[in-house]
Amino acid sequence: MIRFSSVAKRYAGGHEALARIDLEIASGEMVAVTGHSGAGKSTLLKLAAGIERASSGSVVVQGQNLGALGETALAVLRRRIGFVFQDHKLLFDRNAFANVALPLRIAGYRADEAARRVRAALDKVGLLAREKAMPVALSGGEQQRLCIARAIVNRPSILVADEPTGNLDAEYGRVILGLFTSFNQVGVTVLLSTHDEAALSALACRRVALAHGALAQSP
Amino acid sequence: MTVWLRLHAHALAEALRRFSSQPMGSAVALLVLGIAMALPMGASVALRSAGLVAASLEPEPYVNVYLALDATEEDARRVEAALRADPITASLRFVSRAAAFEEMKSTTHLAQVLAAFERNPLPDAFTVRLRTTEGEPIAASRAAWSRLPKVDQVSADFEWAQRLARWIRFGDRVLAAVAIALGVAVVFLVGHLIRLQVLSRRDEIQLSQLIGATAADVRRPFLYHGALQGLGGAAAGLALTALAAVWLGSEVQALTPSYLPDLRVLFLSPGEVAAIAVAAVCLAVAGSWWAVGRELRAFSRG
Repeated sequence: MIRFSSVAKRYAGGHEALARIDLEIASGEMVAVTGHSGAGKSTLLKLAAGIERASSGSVVVQGQNLGALGETALAVLRRRIGFVFQDHKLLFDRNAFANVALPLRIAGYRADEAARRVRAALDKVGLLAREKAMPVALSGGEQQRLCIARAIVNRPSILVADEPTGNLDAEYGRVILGLFTSFNQVGVTVLLSTHDEAALSALACRRVALAHGALAQSP
Repeated sequence: MTVWLRLHAHALAEALRRFSSQPMGSAVALLVLGIAMALPMGASVALRSAGLVAASLEPEPYVNVYLALDATEEDARRVEAALRADPITASLRFVSRAAAFEEMKSTTHLAQVLAAFERNPLPDAFTVRLRTTEGEPIAASRAAWSRLPKVDQVSADFEWAQRLARWIRFGDRVLAAVAIALGVAVVFLVGHLIRLQVLSRRDEIQLSQLIGATAADVRRPFLYHGALQGLGGAAAGLALTALAAVWLGSEVQALTPSYLPDLRVLFLSPGEVAAIAVAAVCLAVAGSWWAVGRELRAFSRG
């Protein structure tokens, strides 16, 4: 499903975020990437989701070598991957419904079909009653859930989440991780990152530890 | 195919929404574009109206030879013989002073003025059609003819008609230059307006790209927005031009001297209006394309 082969990522300016990463994530698997801040977790997730390109090595997602895809093909591939951003990236000029509807609008869904899917996604994260709320009126946890609803509204087969429990208290963090577990149980491949080992303790999933841009252990 | 159509329908709806969400800003933008487009349109209307006048004037070269008031029939015959002998003469017509007086009384408002004269103030005259329009031989013949006995004056009125026609040709070129300059201005004007739109939607665009929008997806609503501005600007420009034409047209007609038969404002034809609308939309879309492309490159650089 997702395969990294000797992947390295250097940013302009010479900072090497990742070096020689070999990693394979099977279809339907749930993987948590852990590591200190700056270990390269976000970079790894962005490479897997086709948001950034590897400097060397190859990233293959659903049988497609991302390095060989043009910009347009890469953008279209990103539609099949749900991404939960660390900073949420909600649009504050429109309500919860319109925020979740954005991926469907990009894909050119019919309005009634889109509305049905948006409500289904909002229902899954428990925000159906808040569809008309503006993001600024939502709590931090609700904003996080809204971001998750937007990531799953297109029914992706891969869900990538960057520090989804980052700014939440432990209790709420468990609720969010529970959501990802439930998506994984219905067959979605889940790749998430966290620096919070304690939150993962209750989670039965494979862990990949990153340290200074390299894999620390890969069972 | 249906998805493709739906994407375009969505983009058009989105553009209309953006357009109407800032009614004042959109109205000012249309007015500015309209004024920019009205300038060449108005100049074109003025020029073609002037062209109509030039076409109604004698296009053929001719010279009027006026005899002295005391010239006799004998003098007139001698002058006629001399005029006919000149190789530059194509044909000639004698207008007697009596005939000229009657004609002037019947065709102009000057009847009352003329009635006040005790004697006919007009001279006998010849209208001489020329074989050439070249200045030098005409000037030579004019000089020779004005030295003939009992010839009072030789006038070549056609020269100013020719000069007017030449000025109109010059005006056409100035118009073309102005139209090109303002066409470029429309591209950059729309480009700038769209650029502001792109900048104010920076977050939305960046997020859209992250979750799978292609460059074409991002560009599409802005191109429709630009096309709407071009179309609206052309409509505003045509409306301004039409208003000015109607307002000035009545005044032009009141000012028209009776000897100019066809001085009126000639407006643009439906085909020209359509061509202007198409050109305005193309220019505006080009400007939008340029602006969005420029900003997207800036975004991707960070």
